[in-house]
Amino acid sequence: MHEPPSYGMAVEIGHIDRELGRLWDSSEDTKTRASMINLVVYTEDAAAMAENTQRIAAIASEHACRAILILADCAAPESSAKAWITAHCHVQGNGGRQICSEQITFELKGAACGALPNIVFSHLDSDLPLALWWQGEFCDPLDEKLWAWVDRLIFDSRAWNNPASQFALTEKIANLRDARAVLCDLNWARLYPWRFALASLFDSACALPSLSRLTHVEICHAPGSETTAILLLGWLAAQLGWTSQSLLSQHDWQSANGQRISFALVEAPGSDLSHVSMIAPDATFEISREKDFFHLRLKPLGMAETNSTMSVGRERVGDTLLAELSRGGRHLLYKKAVVAAEPLLSALPRRRDNG
Amino acid sequence: MPQPAHTENPLREGLTSRAMPDPCSIVIFGATGDLTHRKLIPALYNLAADGALPPALSVVGFARREKTDESFREELEEAAKKYSRQSLDAELWSSFASGISYHRSAFDDLSGYASLAEKLNALDTQRGTRGNRLFYLAVAPDQFEVILENLRTSGLNVASEGSWSRVIVEKPFGTDLPSARHLNSLVECAFPEKATYRIDHYLGKETAQNIMVLRFANAIFEAMWNSRYIDHIQITASEPLGVEGRAGYYDKSGALRDMVQNHLLQLLCLTAMEPPTDLSADAIRDEKVKVLRSLRPLIGDTVFTSVIRGQYGAGAINGKPVVAYREEANVDATSQAETYVALEIHVDNWRWAGVPFFVRVGKRLPKGGTEIAIQFKSVPPVLFKAAGGTLDDNVLVIRIQPDEGISLRISAKMPGSSLRIEPVKMDFHYGTSFGKATPEAYERLLLDAMSGDPTLFARRDEVEEAWKFVDAIRAAWVTRSDDLAFYSAGAWGPTEADELLRKHGVAWRRL
Repeated sequence: MHEPPSYGMAVEIGHIDRELGRLWDSSEDTKTRASMINLVVYTEDAAAMAENTQRIAAIASEHACRAILILADCAAPESSAKAWITAHCHVQGNGGRQICSEQITFELKGAACGALPNIVFSHLDSDLPLALWWQGEFCDPLDEKLWAWVDRLIFDSRAWNNPASQFALTEKIANLRDARAVLCDLNWARLYPWRFALASLFDSACALPSLSRLTHVEICHAPGSETTAILLLGWLAAQLGWTSQSLLSQHDWQSANGQRISFALVEAPGSDLSHVSMIAPDATFEISREKDFFHLRLKPLGMAETNSTMSVGRERVGDTLLAELSRGGRHLLYKKAVVAAEPLLSALPRRRDNG
Repeated sequence: MPQPAHTENPLREGLTSRAMPDPCSIVIFGATGDLTHRKLIPALYNLAADGALPPALSVVGFARREKTDESFREELEEAAKKYSRQSLDAELWSSFASGISYHRSAFDDLSGYASLAEKLNALDTQRGTRGNRLFYLAVAPDQFEVILENLRTSGLNVASEGSWSRVIVEKPFGTDLPSARHLNSLVECAFPEKATYRIDHYLGKETAQNIMVLRFANAIFEAMWNSRYIDHIQITASEPLGVEGRAGYYDKSGALRDMVQNHLLQLLCLTAMEPPTDLSADAIRDEKVKVLRSLRPLIGDTVFTSVIRGQYGAGAINGKPVVAYREEANVDATSQAETYVALEIHVDNWRWAGVPFFVRVGKRLPKGGTEIAIQFKSVPPVLFKAAGGTLDDNVLVIRIQPDEGISLRISAKMPGSSLRIEPVKMDFHYGTSFGKATPEAYERLLLDAMSGDPTLFARRDEVEEAWKFVDAIRAAWVTRSDDLAFYSAGAWGPTEADELLRKHGVAWRRL
């Protein structure tokens, strides 16, 4: 690995605070340092670092933070630890005031990877929450010291090769002694506009009763986004009180009143999810995604169709993360959705193999 | 503030965005006016763009001018492009605008209301608005009566079973207590109190809503929020603008009625109120009314020692010369209207005994801004005597607009071998920390009215208590005219206003 210039100024790890102070002192303009959280990004992919730095810059412009980027190469034969500092500034308002967030970048190799918790702990902005974005898969055994400090653990289940075991590990992290981490799955966060759009279809008093009479759900998803579709299905099942009935063989759920609900996950090119339809005896509800818009369609039996358009909103990874950081709170529904979707998630590797 | 729990939609659970309001038709009286173009339509568009409006929402513009639906939509599209906080997306606008139509009628033409009723019934069938109506009176107060009367006569005020009919009334809500009571009784004839939404857009501002959070969600402030620790409170609303085309209205109204009776007394109430029992609309408004009832009445001669009224003369704003108020277009050359008012107000209750609230509002002041400054008492002058000079007292400032945020001034030791103490400011800026643009006040208020949440709207008794306080001042003013003080445009008000504070040993804050 070489030293990419985007990391900023190389500094000795023991002098980071002092050098950060100098960074501020050396500035000719008046700058305001702002921070609402500590955002630590961990990756083992060197190619992701440039993009991570860009994401941090974008996030910092809306959600001021102390960012710590860590690139780990634990398999490297030699042990080394290097650090760089920089600041992301943006001009705010007409007054031209510059608002800046600090970024510290670490490159850890070999045995130095073992110092990860110490590196994180010693460079946090005190009294601010710690959000750790773990890019990649979790490994057992877990480092309890690290996880106990994390307030929000961010990950993306869509990228996992083995979703079933990874979901189990995240559950284990959440249940560690002294753990307080809120699990923030970006795959779940990406579903927010879909959940919002689906909920809005049933807000009106005339549409609401159809929710308990649904007989079929179909979700179209892009190749590689099956977990996204399954999480959405799990959410519907959890919210509507459906239980699984031999999902693998029969592809159906059962509602509390004994109604069978069949479902289909259809792979289709396009965005993560492109279409959701829900069918009840008295109405059909559909959401299609076209570019940046949802087209909502409510077709009540024997009545005029209602159509509307809704913006999908921003959905780059940085935007999803930003929305996640802004929303806060615990994701109780996520937990319920994962539990409801467990039979489908467990079957995923086999499905992928078959596919 | 509470979110109304009016949905049983299980898919809504956990979505931070509030439940969508019921589908409804919004009828805007005065649809060709400035408020509709600058505020209402941009606010509705932004809500639609955020996915916060039901698909069936319909907007009917009611006004006298000849227009087609198409030309009305085009006009509104231009306005939305100009004034919306989000850039206009053609596809979203097209979806939103498909629900906009125009209804031409004079306000006093009853047949126009009959045809409006037909139109709304047709929308119920065509678009599924389900008999829900929200009437927005974006008109001058002298039109309220005829519109309300005609709404009542045509039966539009009464909702069919399972539906609702509400009215939003813009300020000024009356010009004094009798007229406010008269208006209230007119509204009451047509709409019950729970269906009446008196808008005060200051209450829709994020920072105004944050006052309660700051006070009641932070232990460090509420414990000190009383006469034991607070010396006085300053509430300021200043603007460099003059009357800007509102001369006809402003010359009759003046700053006291235009700003103090509503916006500033509302801010005072939020600052001074006791914690409500819960976050329901009535619990909060009950506490605000208690503050208004605790205001020490300013009557007779006390008005001339506790209230300063002023009017701007010629001067300069931002380096450019500006004319005196009396030389503005459509202003009487002998006008007595106050463009500035400063008041010393006392809240006579246990918490605030002996703490003056200094309130000032003015036009043609050097800088625009609205803020509440909590001035804490001095520490005993014992320990740091040797440091020389005087210690600056702590000040907590809640900036309502612009640059919304909160700052706290504290004393700190200057680095060095000698003991030198200087004030430093800890600052929280909404824009710096939260980055993205906050919704406009009208967005929040329109959504609340559609959802049936009156928390951020003034209740009848609030309005009437505020008028009672203001009327007493005006009653004293009519007995004299020599107390109107003049100040140069671009100055911080008349010198008499400085005297008002000087007798308490304090001074107005420099914004």
